[in-house]
Amino acid sequence: MASELTTESYISHHLTNLTCGKTPDGWTCDPYKVDQMGFWAFHVDSLFWSIALGALFIFVFRKAISKNSDSNSAPSGMQNFVEMAIEFVEDNVQSLFGSVKNTLIAPLALTVFVWILLMNLMDLVPVDFLPVLAGHIAYAVAGDGVEWIKSPESFYFKVVPTTDPNITLGMAFGIFILTIYYSITVKGLKAFIAELTLHPFGKYLIPVNFVLEMVNFIAKPISLGLRLFGNLYAGEMIFILIALMLFFSSIPIGVLGFGLHLVWALFHILIVALQAFIFMALTIAYLAMAHETEEH
Amino acid sequence: MNINATLLAQAVVMIVFVAICWKYIYPPILSVMKEREKRISDGLEAAKKADDSLEEAKLAFDKELDQAKAEAAEILEKANARASQIVSDASSKAEAEAEKILTSASTTIENEKNKAKEELREQMSEIIIDTTQKILGDEISKEKHEEILKKAAEEL
Repeated sequence: MASELTTESYISHHLTNLTCGKTPDGWTCDPYKVDQMGFWAFHVDSLFWSIALGALFIFVFRKAISKNSDSNSAPSGMQNFVEMAIEFVEDNVQSLFGSVKNTLIAPLALTVFVWILLMNLMDLVPVDFLPVLAGHIAYAVAGDGVEWIKSPESFYFKVVPTTDPNITLGMAFGIFILTIYYSITVKGLKAFIAELTLHPFGKYLIPVNFVLEMVNFIAKPISLGLRLFGNLYAGEMIFILIALMLFFSSIPIGVLGFGLHLVWALFHILIVALQAFIFMALTIAYLAMAHETEEH
Repeated sequence: MNINATLLAQAVVMIVFVAICWKYIYPPILSVMKEREKRISDGLEAAKKADDSLEEAKLAFDKELDQAKAEAAEILEKANARASQIVSDASSKAEAEAEKILTSASTTIENEKNKAKEELREQMSEIIIDTTQKILGDEISKEKHEEILKKAAEEL
């Protein structure tokens, strides 16, 4: 195993998703056939963790409700955390959204915040722990029957969903659709189209206006998704590079690597929370913009 | 960086989670929190009210107490005055009584004395007359006798 493990293979192993999709030969998760899958392929690992962590969020918050169904008793434990999260989101929605009444915004912001926070936190699990564990489990369970699982190492498993651009852009896409929906229902289709075409140069340069406004409009969800992806991908990358220090099999470098790991993990906690917060704040801000009928 | 159908799947997953949160998670927690908030503010208000009424009751109590003290003092004063009145009445009455008794006693004594004197005089006169009669014999008449007797009585 150690002989075939190179720096490049280690890094690429950590950056490759478990991808399942349709090839001319049928559905498969064979990493060597990813090129034949085209668009209709799914990153099973990203989706697995995304759904698992989303379900964890729902479960924890649901449990908090069943516990505090009567408002007489003082809140305790998890319930305090849940209420703190909700209060935090409420405050942010209040400050960014003002007086506009829309019951979807706060739950959306809460879901986005907690969910992304949980997904980002997966970055703090030691880089090799879950992929190696998953590889061994997959090899033990399906190693005989499935031809592409040749060894535990041939099973790819990426654990941080937010380092997958599909996940972050997928969420940004969902929010993009909501902004369009609210823009049309709140302002009306006419006002929405006018906003996209009559600025900034007036009605005689509609094509130019449209191109400019469209870039502006499309850039929002893309930047929203890519910002989260970029931050977490870079963080993950640095964890991988620090982990590589152990390859030198020298004790001083190993100790240094351990120290760096600790320092980066501590610093990364900040990024994890900050990026979740930024994503939430921008979600609220974009939806607030969709409700505003202001003139530029 | 390969974009594939994961993006769409994630968008769908997100819609599902947001919908669950929107329908079943957020409103109940928020309503419980609002309710508790209201309960707490109500409780604080009630506590403040109770505090106020306690203060009020204390003031009323103090006032009542002061009044009761003043009344008690007044009653005590009246009672004292009444008692001294009774005592002085009684003593003056007793004095008067004593005076009266003394007066009547002295009158009685005087009467008795006079009576005794009278008696004594009469007896003495008789004795004198008797003696004188015996000495003089029947020289003195009855009238003379009477006259002498009267004179003697006056003299005595």
